[in-house]
Amino acid sequence: MSAVPASHARTVMPILGFGFVYALLTAFVDNSYHLLILTVVPVWAVMGLAWNLFSGYGGLVSFGHAAFFGLGAYFVALAQTVWGLSPWIGIPCAGVIGAVAGLVIGLPTFRLRGHYFALAMLAYPLALLYVFEWLGYQELALPMMREQAAAFMQFEDHRVYVLLALAMMVAVMLLTNVLERARYGVSLTAMKQDEAAAEAAGIDTRAWKLRAIVLSAAIAGVAGGFYAVVLLVVTPPAVFGMLVSLQALIVAMFGGVGTVWGPVLGAVVLVPLSELLHARLGDVFPGIQGVVYGVAIIAVILIAPEGVVWRWRDWRRRRLTIDLPPVGEAALRSTVSRAASIRVPRTTTETVLEVRGLSKAFGGLRALQDVTLSVASGEILGVIGPNGAGKTTFFNALNGFLRPDAGSVIFEGRDVTGWSPHRLCAAGVGRTFQVVRPFRRMSVLENALAGAFVRHPKMEAARSAAHEALDRVGLAHLASTPAGGLSNRELRLLELARALAGGPRILLLDETLAGLAAGDVDDILNVVRSLAADGTTIVIIEHTMPAMVRLVDRFVVLDHGAVLVEGRPDEITTHPAVVDAYLGTKWRAGRARD
Amino acid sequence: MGSKMSNRRRFTIAVVAAGLALLAGTASAQKKDIEVGLIAPMTGPYARQGQVMKMAADLAIDTINKQGGVKSLGGARLKLAVFDAGDSVEKAKNAAQRMVAEAPNLVAATGAYLSSFTLAVTEVTERAQLPVLTFSYSDLITSRGFRYVFQTSATGEQLAEGSLPALLDMAEKATGKRPKTIGIVMDNTAASVSFAKPIRATQLTKLGLTLVVDETFTPPLANATPIVQKVRSQRPDVLILLPTVIGDSKLLLEKMNEFGLGKGRLPTISSGAAILDPDLKTNMNVEQLEGVMSVVAAWSTSAQKDITREFIQKTGEPWPTQHFVTTYGDIWIMHAALEAAGKADRAAVTAALRSMDITTGAAKFFPGGRVKFDTSGRRESATLLIVQWQKGVPVTVYPPKEAVAEPLWPKR
Repeated sequence: MSAVPASHARTVMPILGFGFVYALLTAFVDNSYHLLILTVVPVWAVMGLAWNLFSGYGGLVSFGHAAFFGLGAYFVALAQTVWGLSPWIGIPCAGVIGAVAGLVIGLPTFRLRGHYFALAMLAYPLALLYVFEWLGYQELALPMMREQAAAFMQFEDHRVYVLLALAMMVAVMLLTNVLERARYGVSLTAMKQDEAAAEAAGIDTRAWKLRAIVLSAAIAGVAGGFYAVVLLVVTPPAVFGMLVSLQALIVAMFGGVGTVWGPVLGAVVLVPLSELLHARLGDVFPGIQGVVYGVAIIAVILIAPEGVVWRWRDWRRRRLTIDLPPVGEAALRSTVSRAASIRVPRTTTETVLEVRGLSKAFGGLRALQDVTLSVASGEILGVIGPNGAGKTTFFNALNGFLRPDAGSVIFEGRDVTGWSPHRLCAAGVGRTFQVVRPFRRMSVLENALAGAFVRHPKMEAARSAAHEALDRVGLAHLASTPAGGLSNRELRLLELARALAGGPRILLLDETLAGLAAGDVDDILNVVRSLAADGTTIVIIEHTMPAMVRLVDRFVVLDHGAVLVEGRPDEITTHPAVVDAYLGTKWRAGRARD
Repeated sequence: MGSKMSNRRRFTIAVVAAGLALLAGTASAQKKDIEVGLIAPMTGPYARQGQVMKMAADLAIDTINKQGGVKSLGGARLKLAVFDAGDSVEKAKNAAQRMVAEAPNLVAATGAYLSSFTLAVTEVTERAQLPVLTFSYSDLITSRGFRYVFQTSATGEQLAEGSLPALLDMAEKATGKRPKTIGIVMDNTAASVSFAKPIRATQLTKLGLTLVVDETFTPPLANATPIVQKVRSQRPDVLILLPTVIGDSKLLLEKMNEFGLGKGRLPTISSGAAILDPDLKTNMNVEQLEGVMSVVAAWSTSAQKDITREFIQKTGEPWPTQHFVTTYGDIWIMHAALEAAGKADRAAVTAALRSMDITTGAAKFFPGGRVKFDTSGRRESATLLIVQWQKGVPVTVYPPKEAVAEPLWPKR
């Protein structure tokens, strides 16, 4: 995926073209069996796309999309048999039913993560299967309408079904195409790669998951409703069965997860292949379908684990990058402003962040004990202390990853204790991580974009904020490079840019200089200084004392989770308690020689 | 020159003659082979039943062709086209679509084993106006207003409603006493639920029976002890036992034997052929099956002793199941329809099936002994049979006219 503005035609035209060719092909087929296969392919493509919109982009694997599919199918079948409702109305309603089911299933299930989520999702269609058997709907046939057949979506000419299925598929492809470029795609893809980093970048992960499952379930409901019309007989195993969920997952995995074309490619290859094998060789080699199908899937997993589309993209990208001239390191450095290398200490006294009596214990370990401090607007505050002093815990409590046991955090006069990370981010608290957490599959610009939406919900504004942030840290020339290919220095700058894109008023930097060479450290320091000069308040955790001494206005020293002492750099570096607890006697000797 | 000319003429004549002969050849081939279809599971968990159906169709066609084919069509031979309904409704529907698309010469078909498969298959064949004969029980099959489906079996409802009166009748004849209490132990599959529904709703009060045990489980059953314990403590006069999965049947019957309720001590009756399957014999001690009964729409009866012998001899199967008997009979019905129609096309065969009323030939394979379909496609006078395990073989014991053995019933 790419958030770099691609010409509209370049992505939409192939979709419309594919639809047109498919329709044209249909016009020449009149074997009703082949037409049935041509109808079923788009249905499974739509199911794959629906699964993909949730699991493919968002990364939460659902084994339970049959629940939505089956509810849609049963709704359409029951609506016609009981109320005489035409599928023309029933199918859109099936979408609504699917959406509601998505919400009802999503709300409790999002409390679970990873494999637990996947397993819980597995349970819903299986439970529904038994519910519908218990209700006595083991076999439900859609009544044949001899008059007004078309009004009930029953056609003599089976091409109409193909065209309806095709229209549905093209519509969902276009929708996916728009969404993957929009906030939806960026937020979900970010979440998929690093949920904590996404939260810290201001993405309300729970809300996005809910939106995604509701949309995905609605589409699955529509697909199920249409499938009932095609199959004409609805039974619980046919629509709630394990195979339905798996088929959605397999076509997407085969073609390529998190892409517009992946599920379609998967359906176009696998559905006719399995049917063909069954029809042609099934009587000679019973079960050949399963064997070849299985072998094909194993082969794809071995050769192209992320799907055929990704494999092709990687191959194409490799060819493109060979053609690109390498960008010189010198060119990179020159973009970083060196103007703000001399820092004038700030003297404002307006408090932006106030921490009162903050405590947090993990079992018997008291990681934070009654920490009280305040940060003035525009100040650069350094937090230092030995390993295990509670510095990162302090940050986690500040930005919402941890809920403190006691105490409060006041940001710009508001009590924000216990707020979720994305809410704090929206309020103006940005952060970076001790171990860099970029969204590796996304481009540099998309990484920044993921952080920009919290302040700029509109795509255009977000995009310009992201560009601005990249300019600021000097990564503008790498905007379209995948983040996975960056150096350590560039990743640190990228994290900074991601935090900046959200327009924070206070930045929490967790060991931003860790593992950098001396020259690289200066680049980062320059950026931090220029931010502070523009009025952003900075709290930084760091071990590199020489750099810190040059950077900060004030130090807070933590030891055993409590504030040991605070003061100006010159006071701290000579404070005997600090030297004993943290800097060590060698430091004292070194200072003495200076 | 003259000889040259005559040579050429001779050549032309030869070519024309050869062409005509070829044409005649194909014409006679077309006339001789009339395609009939079998759509049934050939792969997947139901493949065995599908194979038995294929054996039946092959055997019937073989016999018909040996006896001179369809006489009203100049001795045209029948030819079988098989379509694999697989293991799901979706596959069955695809197979049906393939059948109508790729075998346009079919005049009729039989199938498709499970009711849900048959429902899906007939949705397709109805639109293609291909007549289909089926032994599937579901009432739905012939209540959709379809014109090209013919149900040779008693429907599920007829079976369910007829089974208790038949059973009580049989019990009274055997012991002189009418059972008063009844138990139901069933799984929650489509077949069992639809069978038990009318029994619970109306039959019990109508027949003055008291329901003392009523247990429903979801297959597969993990432990039969609690259920069988309830049955033993309540001790109904008759037990209706409705498992569909062979493993569940085995578990329940073994536990009943362990608790001293087996071997006919507690008269036990099931529905359908699942509990009469040859597989059960290889899976459990056959003595524990002794006396177990089932209500079915077809089985080998006193009228078919010859065929039964031929079937066992040719296929090596221990006994013909209802899938065999009905599929075999269906081919004979098709044959009779073709004879009456005198034309090898669907419309003519359908018309012949609608006006058919026979009590000989094909009719002897179906309980009631008459083949006549009503407007919905149900066979009028379709009745049920009660089959009982006796000495390791399920044999027809009711009604007396069609029975091949006396029923075993405990006289206490």
